[in-house]
Amino acid sequence: MKINRRHLVIGGAASAAVLPFGTAARAQAKEVVIGVIYPLSGASAQIGVDAQKAFQTAAELINNKYDYDLPLARDEGLPGLGGAKVRLVFADHQADPQKGRAEAERLITQEKVSAIVGTYQSAVAVTVSQICERYQVPFLSADNSSPSLHRRGLKFYFRAAPHDEMFSQAMFDFFDAQKKKGQKIETLALFHEDTIFGTDSANAQLKLAKDRGYKVVADIKYRANSPSLTAEVQQLKAADADVLMPSSYTTDGILLIRTMGELGYKAKNIVAQDAGFSEKALYDAVGDKIPGVISRGSFSLDLAAKRPMVGKINDMYKERSGKDFNDYSSRQFMGLIVMADAINRAKSTDGEKIREALVATDMPGDKTIMPWKQVKFDAEGQNTFADPVLLQYVGGKFVTIFPEQAAVAEAIWPMP
Amino acid sequence: MTTATIIQSLASGLLMGLLYGLVAVGLALIFGLMDVTNFAHGEFLMLAMYISFFLFAFFAIDPLLSAPLVGAAMFVFGAVAYLFIIRFAMRAKANIGMVQIFTTFGLAILMRGLAQYFFTPDYRSINVSWLGGKTISFGGIFLPVPQLVGALVSLAAFGALYFFIKKTDFGRALEATREDAGAVALVGIDKNRVFALGWGLGSALVGLAGAVMAMFFYIYPDVGASFALIAYVTVALGGFGSVFGAFAGGIIVGLVEATTALIMPPSLKAVGIYAVYLLVVFIRPRGLFGSI
Repeated sequence: MKINRRHLVIGGAASAAVLPFGTAARAQAKEVVIGVIYPLSGASAQIGVDAQKAFQTAAELINNKYDYDLPLARDEGLPGLGGAKVRLVFADHQADPQKGRAEAERLITQEKVSAIVGTYQSAVAVTVSQICERYQVPFLSADNSSPSLHRRGLKFYFRAAPHDEMFSQAMFDFFDAQKKKGQKIETLALFHEDTIFGTDSANAQLKLAKDRGYKVVADIKYRANSPSLTAEVQQLKAADADVLMPSSYTTDGILLIRTMGELGYKAKNIVAQDAGFSEKALYDAVGDKIPGVISRGSFSLDLAAKRPMVGKINDMYKERSGKDFNDYSSRQFMGLIVMADAINRAKSTDGEKIREALVATDMPGDKTIMPWKQVKFDAEGQNTFADPVLLQYVGGKFVTIFPEQAAVAEAIWPMP
Repeated sequence: MTTATIIQSLASGLLMGLLYGLVAVGLALIFGLMDVTNFAHGEFLMLAMYISFFLFAFFAIDPLLSAPLVGAAMFVFGAVAYLFIIRFAMRAKANIGMVQIFTTFGLAILMRGLAQYFFTPDYRSINVSWLGGKTISFGGIFLPVPQLVGALVSLAAFGALYFFIKKTDFGRALEATREDAGAVALVGIDKNRVFALGWGLGSALVGLAGAVMAMFFYIYPDVGASFALIAYVTVALGGFGSVFGAFAGGIIVGLVEATTALIMPPSLKAVGIYAVYLLVVFIRPRGLFGSI
């Protein structure tokens, strides 16, 4: 966390300058304050710390001139607000929905943010977005994937990235395609953690399995951050499905793969609902045990071959964090770009005006770093044009294998 | 449910239980000695795991070899924590129980924060230890070697602790101080030295547990939390003040957890532990082997 004295002084002076003038004066502010709310301590702290770097990279692109085909990159600051710079205020929710609620309230009432972006855990997005709704401050889910989030009739809720039903749909499309090629996929085993992310993901998968005629032979809900997963793995082993489909955060993902090895269970195939399975830490720990694991994603570095800007922006991120963009950091980066673009078009920091601008968003896919067709929100604030991809972990990195138009390699099936 | 499944569950439960026991014994020792619950116990475990990890990362010392080193380092850490922090908390004139709780709780938060600052919140793990990932199997039962070794270390450590308490002068001083701290002062035993020794021993035990666990568990600043909660239940179940009770409690918790997961959905396996705990406390409030 790099907050030095200069930042504090500038931040303090800026908020002191802005405070007394009220909404009208704020519209002409030389800076736009955006709240970024992530787990900066606790079990998922690494996600939050990496997220900070992703948001800082996006802010750097917005606030300075870069020759990239990305909204706001070519201007200094937000031209719609007279070149106002974006200033980020980070808040720590510690993966706790209640702390998320309190932090969102603090960001809005004390830090006077114009918008909030978050939150990694869907369970926290639920409470944060409710607070935003109450104060009429736009909230953008950068990386939450629970489908129930945008179905709560909130007016100030937006999500540019796909949700778990879209992701799961891509997985089943992939299964169908594999079956057409003569592969045998009949039975599935679901393994999911017990908060909203795991539960929503499993519900989506259960429904799709039923609709498309796959047999779910194990549906195991486990307690997140358990000290041991032996019993769970035993049941998975007994079921020995054609595909194991985990929805787990990093710690549980590592323990799952470890325990599988210890109990002599090698899954025929693993198709993961991202989360832990897109984290470098998991592959550092147990990557050798799961060559050929497939995870859904909304980002792939392959795209850099088609759009060189993706590689260059990735380099900027890597310089800060020491890591390549992954499924999370890429969505976080885009989250701020989408929000800043709306604020720029709103030409105002007023919540309702930004909301209207978000509703009117129409960003072509090639002006993002994602494989998305477009960013355009439906009536519920969900971008339905965010195409998910499936990535396979081969030779120590991810390659895109599905859908066909985005794939750069054939899927290796079954897993080696 | 086949016989193999049942035997496998019980075996896994026993291995896990011995580990729970090893984590809990240190907590029980400190509590039994001076009525202080160390709320930073999980963070002591976390620190031990990091020491083990860094010994491996920088000096390529296998966790199995580094276990005594980690134990020794944690002994010093525990004794120092007593002499520089806990000792002062014990001097509180009023609300001494509260002061102790907040002191150790504060220590826990401080340790977590420092770990996150210095070690980063990244998840670490030791992949290439001699035993890592190895498994013995017979008749459909799989026993992971790291856990098996962990269980043996746990038994050996408990045996050594038992011998130390019952057969050595210092052990007897420890017992005597536990019985009556005021009286031992009269016969010339320095209470502070005995308490420091107790904290050192308790921390060394959790240090051993951490070193062993580093072979098969992931490491990050919050890793202690999930084990600490089980350790508190284990101590309460086994009986406050009883080192033997804590060890037996650990084994019971491990077995109950495994059997609950056999007959109920795995997400409810903690329910079994707390049900047994409540039952024990209901029938025997001081715990199974408690003397207080």
